Amino acid sequence: MNYIEKLRTSEDMVTPGMSACQGCCGELVLRRILQISGKNTIVCVPPGCMSGAGVVGWDYQTGMKIPVHIPLLTNTASFLSGVSQMYQRKGRGDVNMIAVAGDGATADGGFQSLSGAAERNEKMLYVCYDNEGYMNTGFQRSSTTTKGSRTSTTPIGEAINGKQQPSKYVALIMSMHALQYCATASPSHMQDMVAKVERGLAESKKGFAFIHVIAPCPTGWSFEPDMSIQIAKKAVASNMFPLWEKYNGNYYITVENKKPIPVKEFLQSMGKYKSLTDDDIAQIQKEADTKYETLKKLASE
Amino acid sequence: MKIKAMTGNTTAAIAASLCRPDLIAAYPITPQSSVAEYLSELVHSGELQTNYVTTESEHSVMSVIQGAACAGGRTFTATSGQGLALMYEPYFQMSTMRLPMVMAIVTREMISPCTVWSGQQDAMSVRDAGWLQVYVENNQEIMDMIIQGYMITEHEDVLIPINVCYDGFYLSHLVEGVDVPSQKEVDAFLPPVHFNHAILDPDNPMAVDSLTSGEVLTRYRKGHLEAMVKTLDVIEEVDKKFAKSFGRSYGGAIEEYKCDDADIVLVAIGGMTGTARDAVDMARDKGIKAGLIKLRFVRPFPTDRIANALKGKKAFAVVDRSVCFGWNAGPMYTEVRAALINGDDKYSHFSAIGGLGGADISIKHMTSVIEKLESVKSKPGQHDTLWLMKEF
Amino acid sequence: MSKRVHISPLANEGMYILDTASWRTERPVMNKEKCIECGLCLTYCPVNAIIFDENKYKITYNYCKGCGICAVECPKKAIDMVPEGGGK
Ligand SMILES: Cc1ncc(C[n+]2csc(CCOP(=O)(O)OP(=O)(O)O)c2C)c(N)n1
Ligand code: SF4
Ligand code: SF4
Ligand code: SF4
Ligand SMILES: [Mg+2]
Repeated sequence: MNYIEKLRTSEDMVTPGMSACQGCCGELVLRRILQISGKNTIVCVPPGCMSGAGVVGWDYQTGMKIPVHIPLLTNTASFLSGVSQMYQRKGRGDVNMIAVAGDGATADGGFQSLSGAAERNEKMLYVCYDNEGYMNTGFQRSSTTTKGSRTSTTPIGEAINGKQQPSKYVALIMSMHALQYCATASPSHMQDMVAKVERGLAESKKGFAFIHVIAPCPTGWSFEPDMSIQIAKKAVASNMFPLWEKYNGNYYITVENKKPIPVKEFLQSMGKYKSLTDDDIAQIQKEADTKYETLKKLASE
Repeated sequence: MKIKAMTGNTTAAIAASLCRPDLIAAYPITPQSSVAEYLSELVHSGELQTNYVTTESEHSVMSVIQGAACAGGRTFTATSGQGLALMYEPYFQMSTMRLPMVMAIVTREMISPCTVWSGQQDAMSVRDAGWLQVYVENNQEIMDMIIQGYMITEHEDVLIPINVCYDGFYLSHLVEGVDVPSQKEVDAFLPPVHFNHAILDPDNPMAVDSLTSGEVLTRYRKGHLEAMVKTLDVIEEVDKKFAKSFGRSYGGAIEEYKCDDADIVLVAIGGMTGTARDAVDMARDKGIKAGLIKLRFVRPFPTDRIANALKGKKAFAVVDRSVCFGWNAGPMYTEVRAALINGDDKYSHFSAIGGLGGADISIKHMTSVIEKLESVKSKPGQHDTLWLMKEF
Repeated sequence: MSKRVHISPLANEGMYILDTASWRTERPVMNKEKCIECGLCLTYCPVNAIIFDENKYKITYNYCKGCGICAVECPKKAIDMVPEGGGK
């Protein structure tokens, strides 16, 4: 079955009406992951846009067809470790253990818990949808926010212009744990993403699987909702968000980028980078190039 | 049963292992560390078949445990001071999700100043986080209350996690003779864990901890408070059951000692109770009509039993090993006062504070409390806080 | 689904659903003359409003938020965004 057949025949596990914005890639990613994992799944969605959009539920009504829990911003991987360990103990290791967490819950407040669970190689699939900020609380900066971005805690000002620090590359940091599987994915490259979620799920039965997914956010990043996939495409094409995976100790670039587009094309397609100077753009270009070079070296080992 | 000489920490580890936990998570901190170590030994030697998770922090300890409890498991951990503080976020959620478990708090003073020693400030500071809390006097009681703790916390009318609190160093590192029940005896006493009000299971999908409106949340809080009240009965019931199986009873939420004909009453909590008992005996020898209340359960607070025990007495003092900031008194003093049915104006009473940061509460200190009680017993009202300190 | 005693916050008494269709200012309309039934629109719809039924891709309107992603991503430009209210 090809990925399109899979997606058109698999059941949606999430409430049909959730309050994520028009064109939200977080919603897209969440639905796709759970379509692939199916009913035999337990999912944790920490505080953030996805849980806030109603997928955990309201009062006595649930937002999913599968068991779901909203853990803390700071403990998703630990909480799921406990659930997973009990399921192994009960001889029900077949149940998919999935976290769908934002970049804040992953790279900031929840990072210690995540790193601990990865180091213990706990059996779960942890997916980070990265919209480069704390969207649910009003688009404040996070550690994955790209340098120069306008966020509500790094506004454009006379004295200080946007975020001053480059982003933390959480996927590569995670890959340095002795984990089972690590990958990056983009909803624009749906076939690649579906394959990685499938592999991640399979590997999660043996240990810790981590997937870092870019999730363009029209509301926070300032672009028209219909451009979400185009923007994700440009992020990949410009090497702002290269697609790779690591398993059995080896790195593989899954979508080769022979002729990258300038990062400028990506940066200029949305409002949050509006006030970047040429110097800023040059620096971001350099970071993207270095990132890709590093990955190429890792992949050629 | 056999008597073994062991520390409070070893006792706690053995007690937990006798209750056949599905999952244990722990992170070392003074003075709790040897609990985590001894449990590891039991697991690595194959004696204890449990999922033992050595996390990167106490925050994750409580989180891993919460996950296991959401899959129906029986769980255990122990911590102290800063560990408990770091744990606060999932700690509060554990009780408000009404997930049963036993957690030992090896009580420790809170920083600052920098300290690693005894004191009850850690456990006292979280007494309003929705957990049950029992404070014990000696190693035998650690053993017995961890076992009883599972029966109480998993009781269908309770479903509230419980802290078994024992004094860091004074009990955790003190070697005492402990009557260790056999596995068979504990198995006969404690049924397997069963609760399913909040379970993550694809066979019965539900959203655990969905976003909740204030009206519904208020209903959950009301239920939690009412369950706390019911727990007072469950505590007595379990104490009786335990006495039947093991021959030891602790009198439920409080224990009264020589209170019947007493004029003046000391209220003590935790390990200091032994010293208080001796001081009361010495006072009795001198003809002073002293009595003692050992406050065991702090949550739920046994208001009726305390009020009854103090009825008709002239004076009481509560000795706290922690402080209540803003009251110029110890926390249990403020709560004992609040428990008195017709107000406290006919009593002479005061707060005594000592034993902070590992300082000793000596027999001299306890005697000084009794002497002050004697001297103020016919002057109803509140008297100055008595600080049990060394003369410098 | 079994009825539960609600002693702690949990939800299992049915699905929490929002009327997201009411957000639409434009609705996507598929032109079947241009459509080659490739299915890309279905894979990119964040809401899962596009279905595959009787061997054809179709847009459903109960929850479609009108984001326009399907229209942009269709390789054959077979989807038009049409103002809501101003006719079908
Ligand atoms: C300990 C703690 N601090 C702060 C918050 C407030 N908070 C809720 S969601 C959130 C941001 C989450 O960001 P991210 O994980 O990136 O998810 P997003 O909203 O972007 O989808 C914050 C800071 C919290 N829930 N817990
Ligand atoms: S703010 Fe961004 S991430 Fe959050 S729901 Fe809206 S589009 Fe999605
Ligand atoms: S993407 Fe376009 S061509 Fe392909 S199925 Fe959808 S409408 Fe038809
Ligand atoms: S407009 Fe958006 S929500 Fe509606 S069908 Fe197209 S992609 Fe889906
Ligand atoms: Mg985010």
